[in-house]
Amino acid sequence: MKSRSMRWSAYGILGVLVFSLVRAITGSSDLTSVGTFNAALLLAIPIALAGLGGLFSERAGVVNIGLEGMMVMGTWAAGFWGYQRGPWMGIVMAVIFGTIAAAVHAVATISFGVDHVVSGVAINLIAPGIVRYLSVIVYQDSNIPGAGPTQSPSVQSIGSNGLPFLSGGHVLGWQSPDLLGSIGAKGWFFISDISRILRGLTGDVSYVTMLCLLLFPLSWYLLWRTKFGLRLRSAGEAPVAAESLGVNVYRVKYIGVLISGALAGLAGGFLAIVASSNYQEGQTGGRGFIGLAAMLFGNWRPGGLLMGSALFGFSDALQLRASDAVHSALLVIAIGFAVYAVAQWRQGRRVGGAVTLALGLGVFALFTYVKELPGPFVTMTPYVTTLVVLSLATQRLRMPAKDGVPYRKGGDS
Amino acid sequence: MNELAVELRHIVKKFPGVVANKDVSLKARRGEVHALVGENGAGKSTVMKVLYGMQRPDAGEILVDGQQVRFRTPAEAIAAGIGMVHQHFMLADNFTVLENVILGSEPTKHGRIDTAAARARILEMAAAYGLDIDPDAMVENLGVGERQRVEILKVLYRGAKILIFDEPTAVLVPQEVDELFAALQGLRAEGLSVIFISHKLDEVLRVADNVTVLRHGQTVAEVAADSVTAQDLAELMVGAELPTAPPRSTVPHERVVLSLQGITVGGQGTRDLLHDVSFEIRAGEVVGIAGVEGNGQHELIDAIIGLAPCQGTIVYNGTDISRFSVARRRDSGMGLIPEDRQREALLMGSALWENRMLGHQRSAPVARHGVLQLKAVKADAAVIMREYDVRAPGPETPAHALSGGNQQKFIVGREMSRQPSLLLASHPTRGVDVGAQAAIWEELRKARDAGMAILLISADLEELMAMSDVIKVMLRGRISGTFDPQRTTLEQLGVAMTVASA
Repeated sequence: MKSRSMRWSAYGILGVLVFSLVRAITGSSDLTSVGTFNAALLLAIPIALAGLGGLFSERAGVVNIGLEGMMVMGTWAAGFWGYQRGPWMGIVMAVIFGTIAAAVHAVATISFGVDHVVSGVAINLIAPGIVRYLSVIVYQDSNIPGAGPTQSPSVQSIGSNGLPFLSGGHVLGWQSPDLLGSIGAKGWFFISDISRILRGLTGDVSYVTMLCLLLFPLSWYLLWRTKFGLRLRSAGEAPVAAESLGVNVYRVKYIGVLISGALAGLAGGFLAIVASSNYQEGQTGGRGFIGLAAMLFGNWRPGGLLMGSALFGFSDALQLRASDAVHSALLVIAIGFAVYAVAQWRQGRRVGGAVTLALGLGVFALFTYVKELPGPFVTMTPYVTTLVVLSLATQRLRMPAKDGVPYRKGGDS
Repeated sequence: MNELAVELRHIVKKFPGVVANKDVSLKARRGEVHALVGENGAGKSTVMKVLYGMQRPDAGEILVDGQQVRFRTPAEAIAAGIGMVHQHFMLADNFTVLENVILGSEPTKHGRIDTAAARARILEMAAAYGLDIDPDAMVENLGVGERQRVEILKVLYRGAKILIFDEPTAVLVPQEVDELFAALQGLRAEGLSVIFISHKLDEVLRVADNVTVLRHGQTVAEVAADSVTAQDLAELMVGAELPTAPPRSTVPHERVVLSLQGITVGGQGTRDLLHDVSFEIRAGEVVGIAGVEGNGQHELIDAIIGLAPCQGTIVYNGTDISRFSVARRRDSGMGLIPEDRQREALLMGSALWENRMLGHQRSAPVARHGVLQLKAVKADAAVIMREYDVRAPGPETPAHALSGGNQQKFIVGREMSRQPSLLLASHPTRGVDVGAQAAIWEELRKARDAGMAILLISADLEELMAMSDVIKVMLRGRISGTFDPQRTTLEQLGVAMTVASA
């Protein structure tokens, strides 16, 4: 275990080194700025939460393509109750609304044996309609400033904090010094870069973000170290065997799907209250699906899906903040390809290595000859990077054996 | 020791369209091995599922230790001390042995699973009952015999006092059967009750104290094992006299159908799964392969049919087919009865006529000019059902609604329908009742006499002795011996299967 964590730290340091190098060469400071990483965190969380929701459902054997719709329910509830009762109540109601949508999915798929994809798609189609309808009822003729059929009035924001001493966090109203911030401002090669990155990730972080991040190790522990987790996973792997051993498969599946909806709702609430300041129609923008993709590529594991979401969050932050940084990121990608090609070559995968190297050279050529990327290409960066990197991370994907298979108690295996 | 541990009184269980149990009664005492025999489809599995709480009876009573009980779930049955070793393994492939064993009754410590305690307990039980197993191995990497040990451990782990064994010996070789029976005697000595479901009547007589016989969902007799012969039991089960195997009157042809030359299949580690295997099969000849499960038999079949990449040369009807695809091999006339009919031979949720097409989807009568001939297929499926005595309502019946024996007869009929010149038959009568077994043997004999070459892999040594013209024994991926069934004893085969000759 020790050597493994040391190896990962080494990879991390190497990665930061590459970023600092490219930042120094191209001069696009946004590549390692505090703002970029702070935004990346904000953008990654909703996707990761949706993915975690998918994880709970699919580990219990229920495909949940309805995450997007459950998130939509969450965003609306967060906007409405957030305005009425304050942001924390908004978050709570988002979780509840997500859970209600999930309950529909659970009843349809588990009790009635409806095809999981059909039920999920139905939820995705119905949810935007429901929230539009509710908005019209409560906001249309009201005189609340900012409220309308497509958006809620603005919600008060939730406080944020950082690590005391390191990232200028405040303790009991006392503002501590901002060590990382001041080092970051110095302009020392690498040292300042790494400080800015850490400052971005640990400073000015919303309390909700902190809670959300805690959910990942917690979920891992719950699923892989407890009785409940073993039973939940058994429902996705071998429900008939589980039932024969006295596991109440229906109940476990229900719990899995409901947790899934709660997390998707939380993702929606996060979007409305933390990443933004009110509910807006279409706010989810397909993040439920991206979360699902992150879960898939993360091999149905919390750590893997968190990495996938982080990658997406980072490229999204980069493209939002500065298009020239995206251009510089091409150089990072080219270097990444080159390193990966060497690694493949050394493992004896000659063909794979050659292909990766050729890709790297192609990206490098793009970096050298195209000085400015056209707008649409910048916008699609997060999607492309996530796809490319995750599909290159060749790993043996192993979905739960009975994922998506309707289960009937007492039926034949 | 004569106290009743379990009593079933007049159990009735109906399914839509079928009455699985009409009137089943059974009494098992403490410290007794009680056998339950009957043809497949006689209702043995159903009545055991009722006892184990997986299904609720429509009528009848269950008494455990003299108390009337009503199990709604297996959990309640387990709590009452009933455990089941299933015929079709109920294991999660992606879990470790340990996870499979503790699932449903996990030891915990401060909210987390206490794996150390579980591991210690499993190892202790494994040692006590001679069930050698690695608790941290992934089940997907285990062989059939090991999986069964996991199933038995699961039941013992729950401290069951009444153990139901559903066809436990079907997958074991003689030595393993002896070990299992020794373990059963140990359980009996400690006052536990064992309900033992089997088709192998000689084994039943060896291990059981009393036998309950089912026929067509009814209890027809309860007898003491030492008062009957296997022939008596078989007649009670079938309700008629059994046909006996006539000795072979024809001789194999000279023409070689299949010739294997130095077939090697590489393994994950250092040892080859199949190493330098060479032999020939002639037209009208049955070559039997004996061996402990997992000694390369599966790889041999896969190499011949083209599923496993291998080195060496395979010559089939004079053509080198080493580089042919599976489809080309099958289309050139190879039939296959796979080892695991539910996983490899059938789509359990699909109708029989759909299953009829599998493996034959490119050729007549299933397809004509690339278009499926559904009408012809359905008609042909009905013909197979009639000719091979597949008992099911019709071609529209889903495969899972059939008993194991009927499924297997259907598969045999399907493979025979194209009149293959070579049939690869892997455990063709595993888990099949006496009637179906006799029928399948008869079909194989007829085809053999007509000139079909057969490669027969079986764990049932008597089947091999009765059917084969020559028996080859496989050990660790090699052919460790070749025997003439006329001049060989079961003991000699058993030794060759387990001891590597220098």
